[in-house]
Amino acid sequence: MPYDPGDDVIVIHQPREGAASGTFRAFAATLKGLKTTFARVPEGTITINYPEEKTPVYPRFRGRHKLHRFEDTGLEKCVGCSLCAAACPADCIRVVANENTPDNRVSAGERYAAVYEINLSRCIFCGYCEIACPFDAITLGHDYEMADYNRSDLIFTKEMLLAEPLERTPLRTADE
Amino acid sequence: MPRPVVKEITFTLDGREVTAPEGMILVDAANQFGDVEIPVFCYEPKLGQPVGACRMCLVEIEGIPKLQTGCSTPVRDGMVVNTQTQRVHEAQRAVVEFLLINHPLDCPVCDKGGECPLQDITYGWGPGTSRFIEPKRHFKKPLELSPLIAIDRERCILCYRCVRYSQEVSEDYQLVLQQRGADSYVSTFDGHPYVAPFSGNIIELCPVGALTSRAYRFRARPWDIEGAGTICAGCPAQCNVELTVRDERVLRVLARDNENVDDGWLCDKGRFAYQAVHSDERITTPLVREGDELVPASWDKAIEVAGAALEKAGAKAAAIAGGTTTNEEAFLLQDLFRGKLGSSHLATRAGGEQPLDVVRALADPKLQATVPDLEFAHTVLLVDCDPIDEVPVWDLRIRKGVRRHGTKVVVASARPTALDPSAAATLRFAPGGAEAFLVALDAALSGDTGNLGGAASAAGSNATAVSEFADALRAAGEEVVIVYGERALRGSAGRAILNIASRLNLASIANAGILELPASPNGRGLREAGFAAGHGPGFASVATPGHGGEEIAAGLASGDLQTVWLHHVDPLRNYPNRPAWEKALAGAQTVIAVESQLTDTVAQFADVVFPAEAYPEKDGTLTHPDGRVQRLRQAVGHPRGAGNTPGSGVRPLWQVISDVARAVGFDEGAALAGSQVSQRLFEAVPFYTGLTLDAIGGRGLRWQDEATFDVPASEPGALDVPSGLPAKSEAELRLGTFRPLWAAKEVDIAPALQFIRAKQVVELSPADADARGIREGDRAEVGNGTRIPATVRIRAAIPAGSVFLAEGIAEHNSNVLTHGIVEVRRVGPGSTEPSSLPIQSQPAVEGLAEMPPSAGLPIPPREVAE
Ligand code: SF4
Ligand code: FES
Repeated sequence: MPYDPGDDVIVIHQPREGAASGTFRAFAATLKGLKTTFARVPEGTITINYPEEKTPVYPRFRGRHKLHRFEDTGLEKCVGCSLCAAACPADCIRVVANENTPDNRVSAGERYAAVYEINLSRCIFCGYCEIACPFDAITLGHDYEMADYNRSDLIFTKEMLLAEPLERTPLRTADE
Repeated sequence: MPRPVVKEITFTLDGREVTAPEGMILVDAANQFGDVEIPVFCYEPKLGQPVGACRMCLVEIEGIPKLQTGCSTPVRDGMVVNTQTQRVHEAQRAVVEFLLINHPLDCPVCDKGGECPLQDITYGWGPGTSRFIEPKRHFKKPLELSPLIAIDRERCILCYRCVRYSQEVSEDYQLVLQQRGADSYVSTFDGHPYVAPFSGNIIELCPVGALTSRAYRFRARPWDIEGAGTICAGCPAQCNVELTVRDERVLRVLARDNENVDDGWLCDKGRFAYQAVHSDERITTPLVREGDELVPASWDKAIEVAGAALEKAGAKAAAIAGGTTTNEEAFLLQDLFRGKLGSSHLATRAGGEQPLDVVRALADPKLQATVPDLEFAHTVLLVDCDPIDEVPVWDLRIRKGVRRHGTKVVVASARPTALDPSAAATLRFAPGGAEAFLVALDAALSGDTGNLGGAASAAGSNATAVSEFADALRAAGEEVVIVYGERALRGSAGRAILNIASRLNLASIANAGILELPASPNGRGLREAGFAAGHGPGFASVATPGHGGEEIAAGLASGDLQTVWLHHVDPLRNYPNRPAWEKALAGAQTVIAVESQLTDTVAQFADVVFPAEAYPEKDGTLTHPDGRVQRLRQAVGHPRGAGNTPGSGVRPLWQVISDVARAVGFDEGAALAGSQVSQRLFEAVPFYTGLTLDAIGGRGLRWQDEATFDVPASEPGALDVPSGLPAKSEAELRLGTFRPLWAAKEVDIAPALQFIRAKQVVELSPADADARGIREGDRAEVGNGTRIPATVRIRAAIPAGSVFLAEGIAEHNSNVLTHGIVEVRRVGPGSTEPSSLPIQSQPAVEGLAEMPPSAGLPIPPREVAE
């Protein structure tokens, strides 16, 4: 037997269909909305055609990390001190250091990072690693396009972080 | 020697009354009883008297106009100390600023960064800024202080800790501070590498990153790692260690100070041989012999083959255990052998067994000395053992006693020991004469001149020397600790030791007693767990005693025994008489080996190989030679097999023994968990009753403190004089062997220790060397029939007529020689290069000949930056 709701049901009175008030309300609301629409038409389009076009970012935007080299010598600035790993609240940096030898000089100090990995699927882009780095070896760049088909591809290795990133993110100019 | 009595006094610290023992150093008293931390750099009580070199610990003491160093001021009653005044703060800031003047502040590349007292104190007490803008002093860096230690002299704050350690603790006298003032630097006096058995301790002592481990160099930072406390199972000393673990790999071994065991020091073997744990040469899957080949097999198959072989052999099966075998493994294995197979052929060492009443009497709790007793006794007697090779940290402990408490050391041994220069009396007997010497010493102590002469000459000594030695033994006082090597225990040696102990009344004197130095790291635990031919768990008598080591070899060779289980032992390398063992293993139907490397024993003779766990992978208990039950705790996972699937590789050995027990249908001897085995062990051994793993904890428990077991008191009885030494001709020498500290299979594959791997060396007396025209460093052949080549080392302290070879080493092992009388022939000139001389574990005490090789550490010119 179907359930009889009895007195629990409160009937809300709607405008009767076909009545004049009902018709008015339907049209008036639509026209009000359309007024906003047409008022914006002269302003032109605001949406952009992502990914053909990209939103410019602020200069201090914190996107994907970059590792840097010294411009004159080409040596890596990172000495593998692991301070970034200590500062990282998401625990997404792994550094394994090794010793520079005369035949294999990688960085300017006594040690270099043999392994430098950032797990970008964990990173919260807080920028603490950048602050912790005593050699300005790591900075957060502007790239935010990091979607991938495979989680493990989001672990960026030292080579990937050192490579000149694709400059695909426009920077906001001063007046924008 | 009575431990110092302490009186409590009260002094005022920052306006509060603090009670502390009188004479305690202010820094310690403030820290322990006043909850005030006074910063220190150079102060380290383990190094002996304070030197007051760094001035970090300045405090204000009322009544003394100048600030005082808290590290060298003992507290007095009524003293008023202020540590928080403006003057003290200013002084502290000034000292930190001063110490940092020449410090490069290269913390990001420094291995000490993150665990550095200099960093901590600079944060806590430093001024925050420096006014120093002049160039800092510069040295070449990093330099190799030794193949194990890198030195960065720029970082050194000249606190003297390392130098004091080398001069006053390890007494190798190698490190010195060269030059004066701002030019000072730490070095060995002539620039040779600092190679010594205990050199690694200075890495931990250095309060800055000046001395760092080369094996650990740049491997990890303190926040990347975890510390795992366990004990080192490398030798019977069972030092407490903390393993540094990163990504399931052991990267470093640090001391975990336990004054009842190790006093906070480690030897370099314990500190660096961990590298063997992650060697590629480890066996990680079970192997089964098919035809002539050992092939990897599944666990099921290996267990089945081993089980079938044991079942078939039944009472003709034998087992030998050694190395890092835990009490639990020993217990399970003896249970399987006795309970199911009906065999009591269980051995832990090469030689035979002492009678059961002697074994029990030697383990009498009343007669047990402890490790701290070595430091505080009036006299320590060493019989036929050299602690530096066999239990290295005891060597440091005995030296500490001699240096700080006036303990007398008397040494009776065939081979000169490292402690001879500190000894009050030494007596040399002929190799193999330990038993006769003990009988002679007993006779000398009892005044039995009849026995004395015969026994003394049977030992290759004479009555006068032995009675003088006996006088020296009694001269210093009644507290005597007798340390004897297990290999001295032959024939009536056990009874002789008991006689000596009762003549010196050791059982009723506290802080005196005997300490046996077992042949394998857990020798005592194995016996207490019942792994012995003559007794069960807790020294309970058994109906049919089995065979000892030598008889097992004979039995296997003759076919009386069929199958042998080798648990962490390698008889071909570590037992005397290799030819006999080769015959034995060839004669055995099945050899089941638990082994971590493809040793000769495994490669040539094993039919089933179970991969052995390394000690950082083990869980269980070990028993220290003084009766302290200690826990081994797992620090890293077991290596996986080729398929990388869990369970494919190394498995816990208690589990392996349980599985084999199940395979032979002995379900009651199998266990489901490691802790269950411990529980069963504690229940089975009467004097372990009440122990739990939790109670043992990280510091261990001496069962003698809680439990006793009854040993009938025995009066010293008359002993037979052992037969004399075999005759030898003028041209021949008596061969003795010794096991160098570095003779271990772990050392052989640890990359950091390759430079110090034990090589064969023949030690000769100057007289014998002259007679043969042999000079230091020459190549010689030693033997009688079979000959082995060795490099000659001449030691003045060796009596003419004796010659010594190293045993337990990988190449040219002395155990291929089966005859105690040998000839030594020069076969060619050696090189005069000191580096061609094998490094032994002796510190440089006998002049230049004992100096470690020098590859030349450049003494840096002082370079001042422009
Ligand atoms: S090397 Fe280290 S321990 Fe030695 S004096 Fe310098 S700072 Fe002290
Ligand atoms: S700690 Fe007192 S002077 Fe160094």
